[in-house]
Amino acid sequence: MKKFKIILTALGIMFFSQSVSAQKNTFKLDLGYNYSLPVGGFKSDIVSDNSPRGFMGSLMYAFSDKISAGLGFGFQDYYQKYPRALYPLGKTQEVSAVLTNSIQSTPVLLKAAYFPLTGAYLKPYVSLGAGANIIDFNQYLGEFGSSQTNAGFLAQGGLGLMIPFKKFSASGFNIGADYNYAPYNKNGYHDLSNVNFQAGVTINLK
Amino acid sequence: MKRHLLMLLGLAGMSFVYTGCTKDPLNNLSTDESRIYITDHDSSVNFSNYKTFNISDSVAVIDNGSMKKQLGAVDSAYINTVTKYMEQDGYTLVSKEQNPDVGVDVNRIISTSTGVISYGDYWGYYDSYWDPYYWGYPGYGYYIPYGYSVYQIKEGAISVDMLDLKNAAQDKKINVIWTGLIRGSGIFDTTVADSQVKALFDQSPYLKTN
Repeated sequence: MKKFKIILTALGIMFFSQSVSAQKNTFKLDLGYNYSLPVGGFKSDIVSDNSPRGFMGSLMYAFSDKISAGLGFGFQDYYQKYPRALYPLGKTQEVSAVLTNSIQSTPVLLKAAYFPLTGAYLKPYVSLGAGANIIDFNQYLGEFGSSQTNAGFLAQGGLGLMIPFKKFSASGFNIGADYNYAPYNKNGYHDLSNVNFQAGVTINLK
Repeated sequence: MKRHLLMLLGLAGMSFVYTGCTKDPLNNLSTDESRIYITDHDSSVNFSNYKTFNISDSVAVIDNGSMKKQLGAVDSAYINTVTKYMEQDGYTLVSKEQNPDVGVDVNRIISTSTGVISYGDYWGYYDSYWDPYYWGYPGYGYYIPYGYSVYQIKEGAISVDMLDLKNAAQDKKINVIWTGLIRGSGIFDTTVADSQVKALFDQSPYLKTN
């Protein structure tokens, strides 16, 4: 909760400090492919395989050449099948099963991005975001599954590079990476944090 | 125009990932991987105190709450295989008249109409499936000392139960001392009976009498 407040405060400072000197006043839509790498407890306890099945996007309002803020969203499908093993079900009860974890993550964030080099052709940026992470967690023992859907907290920090289609264009290609801090306290698990690599396009909506 | 095309392509890509690229866990399981094997036992029991056993001459087929005894090819395969692995663990097969230490039941649980059977219901009617009279203890009840979980059974299951006949007269009840449950696709098949029962015994090394 403390981290959430810090991130919201940082977003607020970025938002309001720049809005008074807004220069652009346009909307920008980012859409792209997302490749995700589980890290920490997510990788060690739930899904160790990377996920090539995802996308990300955002709808941002450009308050100036340097600052934009808006809504970020995405979707990622994680899957891991573990070889047959013996799992305790109780004090004396055991089950031998192939364990499959299938997780669909849908983050919805308040997001802000800062572009430090306004005059340059290539536009590097850093971004911060915080919001909800809707988690659909399906766990199977053999063909017998259980499902849980929860909403958790997610904080995001990222960096990237916008490559305009042509000089002075507000639209272009977009590549980046981010880290998602995603605590998850269900079923004895604690973490769904991940690192992501993205590639897509930024479209200036005017 | 170019902007709209880009947006359209991006949205189409996202829709494709969202609807088509999630990995379905059930479609990525082989028949063998779909199966699970659950065992439980009375932790207060020392299985090395039991030397002889007898196994039921048929299988209780519990089909949506109704029960009948059956001895088809699949039933025989499971009875023979359980006998084989009991003997491999050091137990000696004897007739019921020779007062076996352990009685072994094999049950087939099928659900065809409701799709779901509670394993708790299965235990609730156990003495109607296997009248204690069958084991030479008329009027006794069954008792399972460990908290066997309730499972929702879809499609079907095969269960194997070990009963303590050695101490039945003293305890005035027949204690269930070990249970094994096989669940999953394609288990009602003579060709897989051996591997299914072997899995139950492999994960229960405490059953060995020597």
